[in-house]
Amino acid sequence: MPSKNMTFEPNANKDFFSKLNLFVQTHTALMAVIIAAILYIITIIINPKGMNTVAIGNIILLTVILSIPAAGQTMVLISGGMDFSVGAIMSATAVLTTYTMKGENGHFLTVLIISLAIGAFVGFLNGVCCVKIGLPAMIVTMAISNIVTRMQYILTQGVLSGKASPLFSSTVKFKLFGVVPHIVVYALIIWPIVFYLLKRSRFGKQLYMVGNNANAARLNGVRVTKIQVLSYVFSGMLAAFAGMLGAAYMSTARCQIFDDYAYQSLIAVIIGGTTFAGGSGSYEGSIAGSLVMILLSNLLTTLNPTQPVRNVLNAAILILLLVLYNRGKAVRQ
Amino acid sequence: MLEMKGIDKRFGAVVALNKASLTVKEGEVMALAGSNGSGKSTMVKVLAGLVAPNAGEILIDGEKKIIHSGTDSTREGIATAFQDLSLIPTMSVKDNILLGCEIVTKSGMVDEKESRRLVQELLDRFHIDCDPDDYVQTLMPSTQSMLEVAKAVFRKPKILLLDEVTASLHYDEIATLFDIMRELKNEGVSMVYVTHRMNEIFEICDSITIMRSSETVTSGPVSDFTLDDIIFYMTGARPKHSEAKTAAAEDQDDREVVVEVKNISVYPKVKDISMKAYKGEIVGIGGLEGQGQPEVIRSILGAVRPQSGSICYMGKDVRFKDPAAGVKAGIGFISGDRSKEAVFDIRTITENIFAGNSAKESLFAYLSAKKVRKFSEDAVKKYNIKIGKLKDPASSLSGGNQQKLVVARWIAMNPNLLLLDDPTKGVDIHSRQEIHDILRECAANGMTVIIAASDTDELLNISDRVYVFYEGKVAAELSGEFKTSEHLVSAMMGVKEKVQEAE
Amino acid sequence: MKESFARFRRKPAFTGCMLFLVVLILNIGIQGWSTCLSNGVSVGNILSFFQPSALKSIFMTNLPFILVTVGQALLLLVGQMDVSIGVQIALVNVICIMVPQEWGVPVWVGWIIAMLAAFGISALCGACCAVLRLPALLASYALTYLVNGINVLIMNVPQGSVPKAYWKPYQSTLFGLIGGKDAPQFLKFLDYIPVPALVLAAVLLIWYFISRRPFGKHIYAVGTSQRNAFAAGISPVKVQMKAFLIKGFFVGVAGICLTLMSASGNPLQCEEYGIKSLSAAIIGGMGWGGWGSISCGVFGGGFLVLIQNTVYYFFTLLSKIFVGFSVTSYWQNFVSDIIIFGGLLMTIVTAKEQRKTLQQGLKAQFRRGEKYAK
Repeated sequence: MPSKNMTFEPNANKDFFSKLNLFVQTHTALMAVIIAAILYIITIIINPKGMNTVAIGNIILLTVILSIPAAGQTMVLISGGMDFSVGAIMSATAVLTTYTMKGENGHFLTVLIISLAIGAFVGFLNGVCCVKIGLPAMIVTMAISNIVTRMQYILTQGVLSGKASPLFSSTVKFKLFGVVPHIVVYALIIWPIVFYLLKRSRFGKQLYMVGNNANAARLNGVRVTKIQVLSYVFSGMLAAFAGMLGAAYMSTARCQIFDDYAYQSLIAVIIGGTTFAGGSGSYEGSIAGSLVMILLSNLLTTLNPTQPVRNVLNAAILILLLVLYNRGKAVRQ
Repeated sequence: MLEMKGIDKRFGAVVALNKASLTVKEGEVMALAGSNGSGKSTMVKVLAGLVAPNAGEILIDGEKKIIHSGTDSTREGIATAFQDLSLIPTMSVKDNILLGCEIVTKSGMVDEKESRRLVQELLDRFHIDCDPDDYVQTLMPSTQSMLEVAKAVFRKPKILLLDEVTASLHYDEIATLFDIMRELKNEGVSMVYVTHRMNEIFEICDSITIMRSSETVTSGPVSDFTLDDIIFYMTGARPKHSEAKTAAAEDQDDREVVVEVKNISVYPKVKDISMKAYKGEIVGIGGLEGQGQPEVIRSILGAVRPQSGSICYMGKDVRFKDPAAGVKAGIGFISGDRSKEAVFDIRTITENIFAGNSAKESLFAYLSAKKVRKFSEDAVKKYNIKIGKLKDPASSLSGGNQQKLVVARWIAMNPNLLLLDDPTKGVDIHSRQEIHDILRECAANGMTVIIAASDTDELLNISDRVYVFYEGKVAAELSGEFKTSEHLVSAMMGVKEKVQEAE
Repeated sequence: MKESFARFRRKPAFTGCMLFLVVLILNIGIQGWSTCLSNGVSVGNILSFFQPSALKSIFMTNLPFILVTVGQALLLLVGQMDVSIGVQIALVNVICIMVPQEWGVPVWVGWIIAMLAAFGISALCGACCAVLRLPALLASYALTYLVNGINVLIMNVPQGSVPKAYWKPYQSTLFGLIGGKDAPQFLKFLDYIPVPALVLAAVLLIWYFISRRPFGKHIYAVGTSQRNAFAAGISPVKVQMKAFLIKGFFVGVAGICLTLMSASGNPLQCEEYGIKSLSAAIIGGMGWGGWGSISCGVFGGGFLVLIQNTVYYFFTLLSKIFVGFSVTSYWQNFVSDIIIFGGLLMTIVTAKEQRKTLQQGLKAQFRRGEKYAK
């Protein structure tokens, strides 16, 4: 990996930066993996004890959870939209899961059906408002997620209630050989589906076409509105499922527990090489981006600074990543 | 006056300018000619400060100048009217014209009254019929183009750059523009005039610089060149004066009518258009720009909804609710506006060729990567598209090859009816010829083709029968011996000489 | 008259203004009704919304939010945004309190430093978004963490106070400020004007003068098309940076108002203003880049403020009409969020109106063209 060594080259000149930039832009997914590796190596250097099976298991677990809403976010971003409601949907289904399961087994199917229905409905509402009515995606999805959040409070009256069923929890948390958490099984179901949708179906092809040039896609015979609304629906459903897994992981869920996943998933997807402009991006990139986000927070935990310092560091690193990735084009070429 | 020497510009790996040069004397109109992608627009953008050259120098009045931005360019007395317009649609006409050179009072506030007076004067001079307070987005494209020129002239430049400004102008507006250009010439303003229209070069320009594939090939006074010379320098080949192929005039009533348009109107441009196309026929639609050609073609496809009239396709009255329905019914559409309506520039060549297929059939069925690749490999081979790798983005191709990509996309789907809206706009002569050959072959195999074209020669050359639109109506239907450029041009200009009225 | 209304209907601020007026009337009505039920029917109670104390409190508590929305609207005009705008006013608040408290300098010195901090953080955000060209949403989200961290580093827990000499005039009405208790009867109505409203008016006046300068035109050009603005000799980066700095001014004033209102410091407040101000600006009629005006921000901000007020009085009213009816504040939030969503949907009306104008414009030209041809 020559580029990695070059990162530490002392006299970096402009040419090197433009080369690095080109590399980052053409190998986004790989670049995200490299960044993840660097972050992890730094973590290990600072705290060698951090390399234990529990920590690795947790990293895998959290990455998988983040990668699921990131999948929906990837689809929506490729089609040229943005979905800010994934966080609220996750929180809502997490709250619903613990509220309905009450720590008993046997409610899984009910919860699954209701959650997916909620996710699909909210996604559909997002889609209709953004695409058919044509309001700015960011604002509408935020407004809708506010409503979803309020409903969580009305349901629970703001108190922590219920618990995920022990069986469901163990299907997420139990670790095979003490390392690989069972949640990987869920990933093995979800990831292939997403890859299939994006790479091996006409839906995926149309998604990219719509995101790149919606007008051309329409004249080409693509039902643009349908494709975009579908991307929001899928995003809602994926987020709903991720919320359930999150509830199983946390066992209990307070309101707004996963709200931050809206930004987290968005940044993960951007780091993975999907652009705001639409029409480009890949899910493998988003998974790698999720890994970067999780390892970053892991690193910050290892450094163990006070909360405000942690915030400042977090901001600095995020901006650094953004500088590396998503700079707009200069007006003058 | 102005001299550019050894200008180099690379966009990534693509060479846009290679040691290009040009010289303009004072009070001279210089034509900058060249086929698409030859670097004319890039040269203009270098002078306007929008593109930073990698090498080379710019001399004005013998002094070396550095142009880094629009401000530098304005300071050197350069004003530019851009091909893709530099107007701000959400601002008023007045604010647009004065943008960057606002009239301010002593207190630093904008002087609205004086601004309005100056702008009104300018609008009168250009015969532009609009209010200084109208939003630019509410104006017609031709008015916007005139405004773009007016805005440049308002800056009282020493050097005026006009980049294909006449493309969407009407003939009376072009006349006004040429008058103003002559006035400016007398005042000693130097002009660089970029155009595709050869007759304009001979009408208004004093000298000419011709570019081909990023290089300046020749320059000199216009009087030294004939039309054939210019085309030779632009394309590297002498034009062939071959006979236009004309399909034998058959008894048309025997053939199957594929599509019949009856009295449709599309607000605001199309008033009453009727036409029909038979199986295996190439039907041309001619006319000046903006007579409703695109609207008619799009209403057949289902992209535009006509207010009245009916469309009969394959013997059935249809009204497609969107292009998807039209495509499903076996219609294909190729637009000449590649960047807006046809090409997915950041997607790969493979995906672009497969795009027509992607839009059809079931959304979630399995699609093997091999099938997609094979499909596009075949198309690339068959239609002789010059590409690097199949995985390269479509934007890496030249205009002509991009258009072939789009043509291949649809021909491979073998549609029943193919609609083309000015498909060879800005396509080099060679690719144009290849596209024509493809269309003829398809028509011979029973495909029906309806093609609108702005170029009269092309129209006469390719089509079996031509409908000429004027003011939203069919002014003439030309076929057989009447299909000549004299008849076509007179019908385009609205001269009342109805040749072989539509039945 | 009719014509000027038609022209107003096409303005971006139209829906925002209408929504604002509707909610205003609703608020006056419901608040009046509610007061009448508890205090008896009288003109004063019906119009209880206009009582000096009520007016004052609504302006006082919400002025920071409205100012922030105005700042956000300005950024939207140049095609940028800043979701960290909420924590930025908390930063100003924290500095206003801590500088005098820790360094023993006069309060106004603290204010100046706080203003400078507001400019500084806005310049930083501008540097990220305009100069480095990072996506504004994500960059300013990252800055939220940064400012949050700085806030807590400066002040770890809510604390501090402001001398009464400072907050008292702010928390009063016009006469409380200039002392006009002996004014003649017919001038008494002036006493209905709360000082915060004067602050708002002053800020808007300053903006009015800025907007009449060429800069006021440039923001639209840059917001709509950076390239075209650049070609016209305008530097998009400079214009955007200026917009960020002016936003810094709005944030500074908002933060000082917040300090005077609460008369104490809290490092972790107002974070939600970042996003709320965005929705407010959009409801007020702003588009992304180059479409809208500052009044959109004022109307949108006012709409959001009055909705919350109205819903509060609505539930009070319900509990008075139906004895035993009581719901938690969660329901109130739920209802106001639904209404805000409804307001967002209303912005389609403006869009539709604009499309209609466009068509009418084209129609007129087309007719003119026909005449011209003959």
